[in-house]
Amino acid sequence: MSSAFVRATALASALGPDLDSAVERLAGAPVAPARNTKTGGAWPYFAIPTSGKDWKERAEAIARSVAEDLRRVAAIAPARWAALPCIVGSSSFSVGAWDEGGWEALEPPFEFAARLARGFGVHGPVTGVSTTCTSGLSALDIALGLVAGGEFRDALVLGAEFCNRLTVAGFAGLELLSATAARPCDRERDGLVLGEALAAVLVSAAPSPWRIAALAAGMDAASVTGPAADGAVIASAMRAAMAGARWKSTAVDLIKLQSGGGPLADSAEANAVRELFAPVPRAVSLKGALGHTLGASGPAELALLLASLARGRVPATWGFAERDGELGLAPSGGDAEGVRRVLFNLSGFGGSVMSLALERTR
Amino acid sequence: MYLLAPTALRVAPDDFAARVRARFASELRRAGRFAQLCLLGAQACLDAAGGDGPLAVLWASEFGALHATRAALDEDLARGEAAMPFTFIATQPHLAGALLAQRSHPVTRTACLYLPADAWPSLPRLAQRWLAECDRVLVGCVEESGSGGVAHRSDWCLFRKKPAAGAFRCERSPAAENAAGATAEDWIPRVAAWRRAAPLLLRGGEDAWSFASDG
Repeated sequence: MSSAFVRATALASALGPDLDSAVERLAGAPVAPARNTKTGGAWPYFAIPTSGKDWKERAEAIARSVAEDLRRVAAIAPARWAALPCIVGSSSFSVGAWDEGGWEALEPPFEFAARLARGFGVHGPVTGVSTTCTSGLSALDIALGLVAGGEFRDALVLGAEFCNRLTVAGFAGLELLSATAARPCDRERDGLVLGEALAAVLVSAAPSPWRIAALAAGMDAASVTGPAADGAVIASAMRAAMAGARWKSTAVDLIKLQSGGGPLADSAEANAVRELFAPVPRAVSLKGALGHTLGASGPAELALLLASLARGRVPATWGFAERDGELGLAPSGGDAEGVRRVLFNLSGFGGSVMSLALERTR
Repeated sequence: MYLLAPTALRVAPDDFAARVRARFASELRRAGRFAQLCLLGAQACLDAAGGDGPLAVLWASEFGALHATRAALDEDLARGEAAMPFTFIATQPHLAGALLAQRSHPVTRTACLYLPADAWPSLPRLAQRWLAECDRVLVGCVEESGSGGVAHRSDWCLFRKKPAAGAFRCERSPAAENAAGATAEDWIPRVAAWRRAAPLLLRGGEDAWSFASDG
């Protein structure tokens, strides 16, 4: 059991430039993503509604805005803030800079991570981490080690994924994208819709409303681009997270699914959930509203989910309309009364699987 | 914890393809060069260490698959065509972990870190934490050659909880001021070359680690 807490979060996403606007928008009617000419125009894409002179300046402007929001919520003394370590999870880092700036704009991943950290005004040690779509949770895992080991009282985790053509082209080449919309768990689901986000999570030893009870990782090497159909490794990671948190499966009030609308990946996760839970707890997916924000998806979905729960709502799963009998999952939003224990799933390319156990402390 | 089989691999760019073919035949032909480089060193370390059982894999790089990324951008996007799946996949250095797992090593978890050269102590620190859940952690520092003449680098070692013949006892040292400065490029080779009875004390940033021959 860890003694680390989520002290503060901030988010820029397609739902809005800040977390408050995102939660407000998520409580309203679903909005379809636009086609994005910057990513080739052929696919819908969830873009952050922030403009900039060029890719790099836009990324920096988004970082400054998210940093301001986080500092306001975190309320940490300036000297302590400046000394924070920063762990940046991303799958593409600064690849998008090439789209407009060519080779000179394409930085090595560590340099981009360090640039983002400076944008947040923190000067502690910087680490970049890539485990594809679970990168943000891998960053959280490293932060937990720093906090639990007593090296730092607080640690800054960033999940960063900014718009770029290469990622969209790559997913399109793998035939993983939907031409219309992300429909997590829905009978008509036909692929992912990608998106961008910059999310910040301040992990702290200081008690806060949500404790990180456990984080478990697994490796599903069935294929480099998708999980095994039986979902066995996903089930194993969820089981390990519950064991780490000392929960029985009946204690779980809500599962935040990885589900992004991919036919096979959703099915594998559903198999894992059904193996562990009977009846299946309430479930939610956020990729119909944020898009699949890849390396940012852990911190981004964590920030959005906890902010929604803080306002008393389990968000609706945008894109889910009709239950798929074979999946046996029917995400549902509504009143968050009684939601105290949340299992939070992510998985990605390269077989990386993670499950996070979150417990409300007050 | 204990460090086994420190393995320093340097491969001239001109010899690289032949070395990969010699070790893996056609098995890795669709993997990117960075993943091939990871596997070449990781497999050499595992061969030297022996043993079996579940394995966590952790490696660091400053530049990662930057060359594969540039190649993918050059070959595909610059022509206005969608990136080929295998070209795109080669831009993801983390996939080396899955390829290692597919070679029959039971891998429990993996991560690719991007670190500056003097931040290598993050690797033994994180490995020590992972050892709470796994008996063995394979750790590497991997860098592709950026220009002609410079060798590709793929250095690896195996950390484990229990002592073993030829292993180094490895622990964090409070005496950073007495430690010799080391970088991602040379800390594993220096451990591999250490023959004295006294512990080898190496520092990266403000963090020092000692490596003592365990008899």
